[in-house]
Amino acid sequence: MMSRGISWRSFDFLLLGAIVLATSFGTAMIRSAVAGNEVLQPLISRQVYFALLGLVLIFAVAAIDYRYWLALYRPMYIVTMGLLISLSNLGQEAFGAQRWFQVGVLFLQPTEFAKIVAILVLARYFEKAQYDARDLRWILRGFLWAFGLIIWILLQPNLSNVIVLSVIFVAMLWINGLKMKQVFVLVISVLVLTAIAFPFLEPYQQARVINFVFPPPNATYGATYNVQQALIAIGSGGYFGTGYGHGTQTQLRFLKVRHTDFIFSAASEEFGMIGGILIILTLTFIVWRCIRAAQKARDLAGSMIAYGVGILIFFQGTVNIGVNLNVVPVSGLPLPFISYGGSGLTALMLGIGLVQSVVMRHKQIEF
Amino acid sequence: MRQQYARRSQVLALAMGLIAAMVIVQMIRIQYSEEAAIFREQASNYAYELRTFYPDRGEIYDRSGHLLAGNKTVYEVGVNLGTVFDPNAIATAVSVELGLNYATVMQDIQNPPESLSYLVLADYVDADQAAYLMELKRTLQEQAPEGSLGGLTGLEFKSHPQRSYPEGSLGSNVLGFVNREGLGYFGIEEKYDTLLAGNQVKVLIPTDPNKAFEIFRVPDGTTLILTIQRDLQAAAEQILDEALYTYGAQGGTIIVMDPGNGEILAMAVTPRMDLNQFWNYGLIYTNASEFNRAISYPYEPGSVFKILTMAAALDSGTVTPDTTYLDTGSILVGGATIHNWDMEPWGLQDMTGCLQHSLNVCLAMVSTKMGASTFYGYMDNFGMGHLTGVDLAGEAAGRLKIPGDADWYPVDLGTNAFGQGVAVTPIQIMMAASSIANNGRTVTPHTLLAMVRDGRQYNVPAQFAGSPISEETANTMTGMLAYSLESESSLALVPGYRVAGKTGTAQIPVNGYYDSNQTNASFIGWGPVDDPQFMIFVWLERPSASIWGSETAAPVFSQMAQKSVVLLDIPPDSVRQQIAAR
Repeated sequence: MMSRGISWRSFDFLLLGAIVLATSFGTAMIRSAVAGNEVLQPLISRQVYFALLGLVLIFAVAAIDYRYWLALYRPMYIVTMGLLISLSNLGQEAFGAQRWFQVGVLFLQPTEFAKIVAILVLARYFEKAQYDARDLRWILRGFLWAFGLIIWILLQPNLSNVIVLSVIFVAMLWINGLKMKQVFVLVISVLVLTAIAFPFLEPYQQARVINFVFPPPNATYGATYNVQQALIAIGSGGYFGTGYGHGTQTQLRFLKVRHTDFIFSAASEEFGMIGGILIILTLTFIVWRCIRAAQKARDLAGSMIAYGVGILIFFQGTVNIGVNLNVVPVSGLPLPFISYGGSGLTALMLGIGLVQSVVMRHKQIEF
Repeated sequence: MRQQYARRSQVLALAMGLIAAMVIVQMIRIQYSEEAAIFREQASNYAYELRTFYPDRGEIYDRSGHLLAGNKTVYEVGVNLGTVFDPNAIATAVSVELGLNYATVMQDIQNPPESLSYLVLADYVDADQAAYLMELKRTLQEQAPEGSLGGLTGLEFKSHPQRSYPEGSLGSNVLGFVNREGLGYFGIEEKYDTLLAGNQVKVLIPTDPNKAFEIFRVPDGTTLILTIQRDLQAAAEQILDEALYTYGAQGGTIIVMDPGNGEILAMAVTPRMDLNQFWNYGLIYTNASEFNRAISYPYEPGSVFKILTMAAALDSGTVTPDTTYLDTGSILVGGATIHNWDMEPWGLQDMTGCLQHSLNVCLAMVSTKMGASTFYGYMDNFGMGHLTGVDLAGEAAGRLKIPGDADWYPVDLGTNAFGQGVAVTPIQIMMAASSIANNGRTVTPHTLLAMVRDGRQYNVPAQFAGSPISEETANTMTGMLAYSLESESSLALVPGYRVAGKTGTAQIPVNGYYDSNQTNASFIGWGPVDDPQFMIFVWLERPSASIWGSETAAPVFSQMAQKSVVLLDIPPDSVRQQIAAR
C-alpha cells in the first residue's frame, strides 16, 4: 500500500542537497572549532553519525505518508508530554537547567523532538478546525494543545524553546486567518505577559535580557564576554575570512561555546562575510523549499506541517545569528543543521522528512 | 479559502525574507562600522606576542661528575577567576593537597581584589602535587555531564624552573644559591651568574598554532664542573663538625687545596645552610661575611704567619737555617716589649728551633733585622692585603698595615712577624703558603675546573700569581717545617706521609686587649713534602677544650690529611719511593 503511491519523482532533491551542504559545512566547522581540545574530539564523529542517521530518517519518513503520523497524534502527544514531565526528576542536571534525557549512552533532548510533535499536533488541529469560525474559542483550543507541551518546557526552564513553540503557534494562527484585530490583542497581551513574567524569570535569564538592553560598560569577563568575542571574531574575519582552521578567535578559544551557540561567529571569522552570507542563503533556501512544499501540499495538514518546519528552521536560525550579531539577547538556540547537537539535528531531519513526505504526495490526487 | 492561505503565507514569507535581509545588512554593517577596525586590531593583537625565553640555568657538578646544583620544575597554582565554576571544589582540592587554608581560598575566589582576573594560590608547588591536581581536574571534567564543566575548571598551573641542590647543605658556602628572581647569591652561583643563567632571548611568537612552525629553543646556560670533590667535601664538613664538638669551638673552616695548581678540593665552613630552602638565609646568618668564612672573614692568624716571615728572611738572606740567636724571653721593638707565648726565655736557638717552638721574640728579631721595607715587600708579594682572586663571590682582602699608613707604628714590624696586627682570610694564607709548597710559585686558588657549553668542555688552566721566594728557599722552609713537626712529635703528623706545617694560636682582641682565654687555633700544612699534593688549612674559632692550636687544630689537620690521602688516592711515601726507584 505504501509503495504503491510513492513517487520519488517529486522528492525535493534540491532541499536534500541544501541539507547535506549545511550539515557537511557544520561538521567541518565543528572540527575546526574543537581543534586541539581533546575532550571535545569525539563530538566530530558523533555529529557525523547523527547526520548520517538523519539522512536515513529523511528517506524513511518521506517514504511514509504523513497522514499516518497525523493519525498517531494522540499517543505521540502523550508520550512527549510524559518525557517532558519526567525530565524534571530524571533529567541530567546541567547549567542549572534540565534538558537532557539519558537513553543508554546517548543524551537525548526531548524538547527538540517536542517541537516536531507540536507541529504535527497543531497541524492536525488546524486542519480539523479549518471550517470553524475564527473566534476566541478557535484560538484558545489551539493554544491548549500547544500549552500542553509548552508548560513543561517552561518549567525546565527553557525560555528559548518556549518562544520557539509560541512563534510556531502564532505563525500557524496567522496563516489560518487570524484577524488583524486579534493580532493587536495578541501583541499587547504578550507585552503585558512579558512585563508580568519578568520578575518570575530565573536570575540568569533576567541578567541576559538586562545585559542585552543595557550592556555594562567595562565588563570583559562573564556577562557580555561571549558576545563581545563573537563580534571580534566576525569583525576580524573581513570579507574572505582568515581561512579554515586559522581564525585566531576560534583556535585560541577566546570564543566560547564555539561549536554550538557561536558557530556562526567561528564560521564568519574563518570564511569571512562571504561565508556568513552563504550560510544565511543556504538556510533561506531550505526555508523557501519548505514554504514551497507547504504551498503545494494536497491538504491543510500537510501545508501546516511544512510551514511549521520552515518557521522552526527560520526562527532558530534567525535568533542564533541574531545573538552572534548582537541584535538578539543570548538565547542558546542552535544554528539549524550547522551547530553541534545530536538531538537537535535528528529532530530537524525528521522535520525535513515530513516536509519531503508532504511534497512527494502533492500530486497524488492527480494521476 | 485556499487563496487566502496562499496570500497569508506569502506575507509570512515576505516577513522572513525581510528579516533575513536585515541580518545580512547587520553583517555588512559590522564590517563597515567604526568598531570593525578596532575588532580587527584586537584580533591581530592576539595573533602575535612578544615572549622572552629564559634558558635553563647551567648545572653544577663536582670534579667526579656528581650533581651539586640542578634544576627542577615547580608549579604556580592559580585561579582564572573568569572561568571558575565551583569555588568550593577548588578550595577543597587545594586545601587538602597543598595544605592551604580552605576559608581563605574560598574568600579570595569569591571576593577577589578588585580588577583581578587571575589569582595566585600557591607557588613552588612540587611537580608531583601539581600533577595530582591536574589529574584530578581532568577526571572531574571527564565525569561531568556532557556540555557541563568539571569542578576544578578555572584552576590553572604554570610551570617554572627552580634551582635544586641534591646534596642539601653540602658545600653551601662554595655553591651559593639562586633567589626567586633567578639571581645567584654567593659563591659559584653569584660569581658565574651570567654564565650559568645564559642569554635570554626575546622572540615574536605567533599565538596561532597553525603559524608556529617551530618550537623555539634557547641554549641552556653553561654547565660548570668544580674542583671540589664531593666525598672529600663531605669528609671535611664531618671532621669540622666533630672538631667543633670535641674542642668546644664556636666556628671553623677546613680547606683542602692542591698546592700545585690551586684547585680547591674541599672547603668546609660553619655554619652551613640547606640551599633548597634559601629563604632561611636570614635565620642562619646575620652578616654576609659569615656565609663563607674561608674567603670573606678576615682574622688575626697568629703563628701560622711565621712561616711567611721566616721564608722572607731566608729568601732575603737575612738568616740561614743555622743562624743562631740567644733567646732572653723578650725583645724591645718600637718602644714596646715583646714576649714569647710562655713568657719564658728559650736560650740559644737556631731558626728551626725558632719555628719549632714558635718563638715570638725570635721572629720579631728576624723581622727587625730584615727591615720594614724588605719585610712588607715580601708580605705584599705573598698577597697579604690583596684579594687572592679565588672565583667565589664575596672575597674579603683583609688588611696589612704598612709603614706610611696612619695607623702603622714601629712595633707593628715586630708583632706582624708572628701574625698579630694583620687581618687575613684563610684563603690568603693558603695562597701565600702555596709558594712554599710549590717551589716558590704562588698559585691562584680556584674552584672552577671546567665549563661545558654547547657540548664542548673548556678546561680552566692553573694560574700562577707570582714567585715571592726562590725554589731553594721554598725547599729549605718545607724541610725546616717538616723537621720541626717530627722532632716535637706533633699531633699533626700523618702516618706514612711526611708533612710540613705550622700551628698558630692567636689571642683574640677583646675591647682593644688580647684575651688569653679566647684564641683562634689554626694549622697550615701540606704533604707529602717531596711532592706536595694536598695543602690543608684548619681554623677553629675559640676552642674551649684547649686554647692551643697544637692541641686542637693540629690533630684536626692530621685527621683531614689521613682522609685526604685515601680519597685523593695518594700512596704512602714508601710506596711512592719504591715506584720511583724502579
